[in-house]
Amino acid sequence: MSLARTLRNMRRTGVKEWWRQLQYIGDAKSGALIGQDQFGNKYFENRNGEEEVPGRHRWVDFAQHDYNASQVPPEWHSWLQHIRKEAPTNDPVIQNLTPPWKAPYYENLTGTRGAYRPYNTVAPKINAWEPKTHART
Amino acid sequence: MLSRTRLVIVGIQPNIARILASSNLGRHALVARRLLSASTCSHAEHTNYSHRPQAPSSLVSGIEDRNVHKEHHPNAQIDSHGNEINPYRNGPSALDKAVHLFFFTEIIRGMWIVLENFFRPPYTIMYPFEKGPLSPRFRGEHALRRYPSGEERCIACKLCEAICPAQAITIESEARLDGSRKTTKYDIDMTKCIYCGFCQEACPVDAIVETQNQEFSTETREELLYNKEKLLANGDRAEAEIAANLHADHVYR
Repeated sequence: MSLARTLRNMRRTGVKEWWRQLQYIGDAKSGALIGQDQFGNKYFENRNGEEEVPGRHRWVDFAQHDYNASQVPPEWHSWLQHIRKEAPTNDPVIQNLTPPWKAPYYENLTGTRGAYRPYNTVAPKINAWEPKTHART
Repeated sequence: MLSRTRLVIVGIQPNIARILASSNLGRHALVARRLLSASTCSHAEHTNYSHRPQAPSSLVSGIEDRNVHKEHHPNAQIDSHGNEINPYRNGPSALDKAVHLFFFTEIIRGMWIVLENFFRPPYTIMYPFEKGPLSPRFRGEHALRRYPSGEERCIACKLCEAICPAQAITIESEARLDGSRKTTKYDIDMTKCIYCGFCQEACPVDAIVETQNQEFSTETREELLYNKEKLLANGDRAEAEIAANLHADHVYR
């Protein structure tokens, strides 16, 4: 059924999108567009058990070519990993619990200039000895 | 030659007869596609468990319908001494067993399963586009939370530091000008952390939590030595997800 599934999904999504999926996801998938986050990543779902194996029924189409799992913001991450049933666009719990001081999301910046470098948040307790000499009279 | 052919026919005959006798079973065994979602070995909710909440109609497994076609053994006949009369009456005959033994039917059935999987949709989860299910209690990267007002929650009670089995947490505190005690240093050595979750269980104000983020791998070791600013930044970014997970779990706490 894999060949039939590939052909069916190619027919549904169109050849261009099908080719893009084969280059990125490595598999032809078709489903309903659930939403889009602030970075342009698109989230899809297909809950038909005949078409998608359960567990593979939610997926993300990354906006960037240099994709990374940490590019998914936390709200959509909890939908993508099946923690929350509803997408954040119509999940009242997520919407009510979003604070006004929520910081903008950024991906894992390791390996770039924006990577986190640890630093001490208190004044150092051990200091090098700085000799103070009195002028001789 | 004739006798061997007859042996095969006799041996396989009961199976064919059983399949043909129940057209429903035949339809399931021969026609229905064998998918993960249609497997008889299902852990989905059974409808006869009346004390459980009913699953939504879209999630019905239909396992009862598939299981009613299994063989029903009538009650065993017991003689006056308490011994069962002909205990093999309902089982396969010796001829039946001999056919399965000499014609390697188990190997053929095993190879049939292999052949079936060529034509099934793939099971592999294509990370990072698709991800496996995760619990709201999953213990990943740490974060320090704030109150809805924006005030940081941690009161520097140092219970997490005390309970941490790996001794990965270091806390220093001092009183602020408004008299509240807050941490000045909250370091977690993520290379020591064993992700046991004791810190979030010990915390009286739900300040330190382990988020569901598991994609925080780094290229250098020093990037895993988190300080307070980093932990607060994690919490500020993921507060909606953290709060939703605590909300999902609050009935069990």
